[in-house]
Formats: sequence, structure tokens, C-alpha cells
Amino acid sequence: MASIPLADTEPRRRFRSDVLHDWVTTVDHKKLGILYIASGIVFFVIGGLEATAMRIQLAVPENDFVSPEVFNRLFTMHGTTMVFLVGMPIITGFGNYLIPLMIGARDMAFPRLNAWGFWMFLFGGLLLYFSYLGSTGLYGAGSAPDVGWFAYTPLAGKAFSRGNATDYWILGIVVSGFGSLSGAVNMIATALTMRCEGMSLGRMPLFVWMMVIVSFMILVALPPLTAAQVMLLFDRFLGAHFFDTQAGGDAVLWQHFFWFFGHPEVYILMIPGFAYASEIIPVFSRKVIFGYSVMVGATVAIGFVSLSVWAHHMFAVGMGRGLNIWFATATMIVGIPTGMKLFNWLATMYGGRIRFRVPMLFCTAFLAQFLVAGLTGIMLAAVPFDWQVTDSYFVVAHFHFVLIGGLVCTIFGAIYYWFPKMSGRMLDERLGRWHFWLFVIGFNVTFLTMHGQGLLGMPRRIYTYPADRGWEIWNLVTSLGVVLQIAGVLFFVYAVIKALRSGEPAGDDPWDAWTLEWSTSSPPPDYNFDEAPVVRSRRPLWDLKHPDDPDWKYE
Amino acid sequence: MTEPHDDRGIELPSPTASPLYFALGLSLLLAGLVTHELVSMVGAAFFVLGAVGWWRQVLPQESEQWVPLQSEAERARPVSPRRAAVDHLTAGEDRHRMRLPVEVRPISAGLPGAAAGAVAMAVVACTYGLVVEGSLWLPINLLAGIVLPSVDQASPEQLRSFHGLAFGLACGAHVLLSVSVGLVYATTLPMLPSRPLLWGGIAAPLLWTGVAWSVMGLVNPALEQYVSWPWFVASQIAFGLAAGWAILRVAPVATSQSLSLAERAGIEAGR
Repeated sequence: MASIPLADTEPRRRFRSDVLHDWVTTVDHKKLGILYIASGIVFFVIGGLEATAMRIQLAVPENDFVSPEVFNRLFTMHGTTMVFLVGMPIITGFGNYLIPLMIGARDMAFPRLNAWGFWMFLFGGLLLYFSYLGSTGLYGAGSAPDVGWFAYTPLAGKAFSRGNATDYWILGIVVSGFGSLSGAVNMIATALTMRCEGMSLGRMPLFVWMMVIVSFMILVALPPLTAAQVMLLFDRFLGAHFFDTQAGGDAVLWQHFFWFFGHPEVYILMIPGFAYASEIIPVFSRKVIFGYSVMVGATVAIGFVSLSVWAHHMFAVGMGRGLNIWFATATMIVGIPTGMKLFNWLATMYGGRIRFRVPMLFCTAFLAQFLVAGLTGIMLAAVPFDWQVTDSYFVVAHFHFVLIGGLVCTIFGAIYYWFPKMSGRMLDERLGRWHFWLFVIGFNVTFLTMHGQGLLGMPRRIYTYPADRGWEIWNLVTSLGVVLQIAGVLFFVYAVIKALRSGEPAGDDPWDAWTLEWSTSSPPPDYNFDEAPVVRSRRPLWDLKHPDDPDWKYE
Repeated sequence: MTEPHDDRGIELPSPTASPLYFALGLSLLLAGLVTHELVSMVGAAFFVLGAVGWWRQVLPQESEQWVPLQSEAERARPVSPRRAAVDHLTAGEDRHRMRLPVEVRPISAGLPGAAAGAVAMAVVACTYGLVVEGSLWLPINLLAGIVLPSVDQASPEQLRSFHGLAFGLACGAHVLLSVSVGLVYATTLPMLPSRPLLWGGIAAPLLWTGVAWSVMGLVNPALEQYVSWPWFVASQIAFGLAAGWAILRVAPVATSQSLSLAERAGIEAGR
């Protein structure tokens, strides 16, 4: 076996270029996980600034803060960024960082493929944003894609999207999509083949279970989108007619392809949020998770059912009664396993000695906000209701309650929970509480009121609106909520910088938690564990901390 | 934590820039489509560089680096036993308002309940038809309006006459709804406070009537036009009382709720 000597015995000064080289050439799952998360946070700030510009534009009627063309690019890039360049890398980053640590492994199954996946994601994102400089729009100037984040045909076809801005959208997502696929293969292989001694599937942490299920969903849902994007490239470059209705193609086919990816994608993003909550809530409730087996079963059920609900995004297309009934029913059914999860988290909290530290605060807010998201989701699953509010701000409010109220809140919770492990430093609790309250209040001010605009008939993606529709106060309040959210995020950024510079040392196990990542040092060494762990229950650290009353007696 | 470890260090995959080159090459190859052929050519060069470098990383032997173990001071502290005692939740203790049914009616008891309720409701509805509207078929045709949109357009004379299709659909809908409600009734019975007949037989039908009143115009416009709410309430209560009576006659079965928490945890874990 070829070995490369790494460490000199004599200490030497590490220059910045050395540090950079370490990170660029790394195949260590922890560094790659941090790279994924950090990149996702940078894109989150960019996507947030795009949203802020849109909310300034819509704060008052007949505003001209940005031009209509810029507005179209903003909502396209905002949606694409948040889904593909924020949600996906952050969930992949946490999976990368935590799965080997939680199952007692030294690294992912394919470390080099892991690095390739990250760089594909990053270059895909950079290619997409290079469109601002490099693409040619209708007016010959550089411009970003402007066809919406789902790029419906025929709008995205050559006839209506001149120039190559849409091509950048296609290529950027195809490139980053390959990264997601490689990450999914890696997580499945790692979790199924590299668990430590004693860790049967029934003892695997719920986080790992859920990431495995998500990875399978990525493998099923993402290739059809890539295939459709290649078909669209053929239409645009080679004169093919897959989506050209005037030459025998089918524009609705694109919608089916896109949403066959697009709706599972909602769960691909959301199930990792469930995974974070399933680890955080028990630790801060000081109780074992309620209904472990049911949680796994419900996640598997969500994984299956969510693959058969895609056309609820297309009720207004005119698919016919039979298909509408099928997709409405399937959509409502997916609420059952999701509801089971909510009840299980509540049952875990019930009777526990709850510690409302910042990770738990975010998870508690997630429970309430995700419930609202689920309820409006059931409303939208009813075809007649959907017909009334389709493409309105009600729908925008619904999916922001899912993705911000649900996913982003759990991501913040996860960052506060695992940051001490990743950095060896605690995030400041007081700053975290400011972050939490400002962000959650701001989020609800923004997106609860957005339901009102939708019910009053305000369509999504409109550039501006006249002053006689009764939407003015709703839009103003919605935009004011953004200010609170930005203030919250600024507290978060400050807390991270402060912790990295002078944060309180975290120690190995600052939360008195129970999964294996807390048994190693903070941050963990390159090899994760001095010795390969052996586990006998789902909470190996509990067993060690309570040898008189270990979990394996009850499992 | 039993596996003995090597004090000198641990072998891990060595760092490499090849995946970066490979990804950059692929990205530039595709980016050439929207920029310039030269970009694709540069991408192809990086692609080859990355691919060859990657192969050399894993063939003929995987390249690994020797990472020395952390010093004792840096290593994780061994996990030590906690002194704090562990509380075990027990059923019905303070702060836990548990009502654990030791015995419940089986869910299948909903079927005889559904049968009894269906008959009782049909008797009340048909009595209404005969006594108030002068036709046995009117309530049946109105019920068929749930699934038969044409009932909405029917004249009063047509509603008072027999129609085979409407009769079949009404019977089907009545059976389906009765079985559904009966099963729900049997399932929820153990959760109802004392006097289940009062809750299931009177309170639930009144609540259900309120829901029906609010959505009747959407679900069945024809029924909304002809419905007599006192008779409607009477039919619902008849269903609730008859179904409850039939369900309570079924012998209860023991539940696992009476087992200890440990035994239940064992059962849930598949032992």
C-alpha cells in the first residue's frame, strides 16, 4: 500500500497557501461537509439579497426600484439559488460531515468521489452566476436567466428565450446535479457498508436513516430532470422538437418531467430538516425519541408517496378529472406519515425536561411553522381550492413556510447544535436568541401576510401592481418582515465570527448528547475515532453514561 | 470501544486535486456550449488531467497518507458515567394526564355498528320522505346527489319517483359512509370520556351536522335545497345511538397499554 508521509516531526509554520491547499485537495468528509455548508450559506446570502430586492420593489404599488427585466431575473435566480445552491449543498454538507461520525466510520465510502461532488456543485453554481456577465439576453447585454426556476416550455424554448441565458440555467443545474447524484451514491454506500460493530440498521441514528432515504429519492427524482434539460438543450441547440408544440412536441411534457423531480425535491430538502429535528429534539427534551420504528417507516412512506404527487403542481393545466383525483388523493395521503412524525416529535417533548437552548428553539418553531405549511398544503391538494389560488401569493406563502419555516429553521438549529463539534467553539447563546426571535418573528410577519395577498388574488411573479387592489398594506407588512429577518441573519453571522475568533471552548460533548459524534474530540481528528466504536443500542453514549440503566436493556 | 489501535497513526486516503480538475474539466467542457470552443478545449485538458490523476490515485494501489494520532491532551475524554439518577415515566404519574384503556372494542366492531347505524338512519330518512314529502324515494334520490350531478337539475316530480341508478348509487354511498363512520366510531370510542353513547351518539352527530351545514352547498346542492335540518339531525343521532349501542355489545379485548413500559418497549423493538 503506497503511503505518503504527511506530518513532519518538527513544527512548521502553516502559511495561508498551505491552508488553502489543504482545503482544495481535501478528500476528508468533514472538510468537504464544511465546504458544502459554507458555500450554501454564501449562496443563501446572495439569494436573500435577491429576495430583498424583490420585496423592496413590491413594498409599495407602482414602484420602479428595479426594471421588469431585472425583476424577472431576480425571481428566477432567487428560486434556483435557494433550491439548488442553498438547500441541496447544506443538506449534503451535514450528511457528509455527520454520517461517518454517527456510524463510527473513518470517512465516506468514496472519498474522492465525495470531493468531485462538491466541486461539481460549486462549479455548477458559479456557471449559473457567470450568466450575469457572460450570457447574451434579448438586448445583447449580459443577463441572468429570466424564465422562472421551473423554466416552463415553450417560454424556455428558443423561440421565446433568445440568447443563451436559459442555457446557463440548464448547464449550471446539470453540472451541480451530477454532484448531488454522486453525493447520494456515496451516502447510501457509506451507511449500508461502513457501520461500526453492533450498529445494525435498527440501531442506526434517525439522521442517517433519513439521509439514506433522501439519497434514494435523489437517485430516482434527479435523473429525469437532467434528461429533460438535455432534451431542452437539444431543442435549443440542435433544432429538436421535444417541447415544441408547433412541431409535434409537447410543452406539458416538460412540466411532468420537471415536477417529477420538483415535488420529491421538496421532500429531498425537507426530510433532512426532519433528520436534524429528530436528533435535536430528544437531546433537549432529555428523552429517547418517541416511536423510532414509526419514524423510519413514516420517512420511507413519505419517500414512496412523494414520488407520486408531482402533478398537483399542474391542476390548472387541464389534465382531466381522473388524474386530478389521483394526484389530489396522493397528496393528501402524504400528510399521514408527515403527521405521524409531528406527533412523534411532540410525544418526545411531552413530559421531558426541555432545555430551550437555541437549537431547540429553532426546532420548536419548526414544529409550529411546518404544521401551518402542511395544512395549507392539504388545502392546495384540493383541486377546486387550488384552481382559485394557483400561481398566487398563497402558493408562494405555502412553500416558503415549508422551506424557510421548516427547512431553514431546522438548518439554523442544526448549525447551533453541531457548530461546537465542527469548530470546537460554542456559538454565543445570547446572540443566538436574538437571531432566533428576530428571524422567526420576521419570517412570520413576511409569510403569514403573504397568504392574505394570495387570497386577495395577487398573482406571483408580477413586477408591480396598481394602488386600487387592496394589496398595499399586505405588501408593505410583508416587506417590513424582511428587515427583521435580515437583522436576525446579521446576528447569526456575527455570532459565527465571534465564536471562531473567541468562542468558549465546546469540549467533546457540550449538550450531553447520545450519538457517536459526541464521543470524539471537537473538532474531530482526521481519522474521527482513535478506536473503532462498538455499540449496543441506538444511544451508545447513553449506555456509557448510564451503565446501570442502558438502553440496550429495552431495545 | 474495544478495538486496539496503533499508537503511531492511522492510514487515510491521501489528498488530491484530481477530483477538482475532473470537475473543472467537465464544467468547462459544457460551458464551452455557451461561451467559446476554446473554453471546451481547456475543459477537455483539465478533464484528462483529472481523470488520469484520479486513476493514479486508486490504481494499482490506493494512495494513502499516514496521519499521526492526536496527543493525549488533544484526544477526546473517555465518556464517564453520570451520577444523576434516571427518571422513568410511569403511566398516570403527576403531570401526565394519561387515560390508558386496558380493554377496548376491536376496530372490527365498527362493522356491526355501521350496519345498525345505517339501518337506523335509513328508517328516519325514509320516514321523513313518506310522512313529510309524500315519497319514499326523495331522500334516496337526494343522497345520490353526492355522486350524481344531474340530481341537482331534477324537478320535484323526478325526485319523488324511483330511479334505478340513483337508488344503486345512494345505497352504495350510504354503505360506504356508514362503514367509514362506524370504523372511526369504534376506533375513537376508547378515547372518549365517560358516557361514550352521549358523546358518540349525540355530541358527535351535532358537530357533524354543523360541518354538513357549512359544506352542503358544495357537496350536494340538491340536498341543501330540500333538506329539513331537524330531520337531518334526527337521522344523525339515530345513526350515532344505534351504532354506539351495537359497538358496545361487542366483547372488549385487552390492549398492550396495560403492560409495563419496558415490556412495551421490548415489543416495539420486535422482541
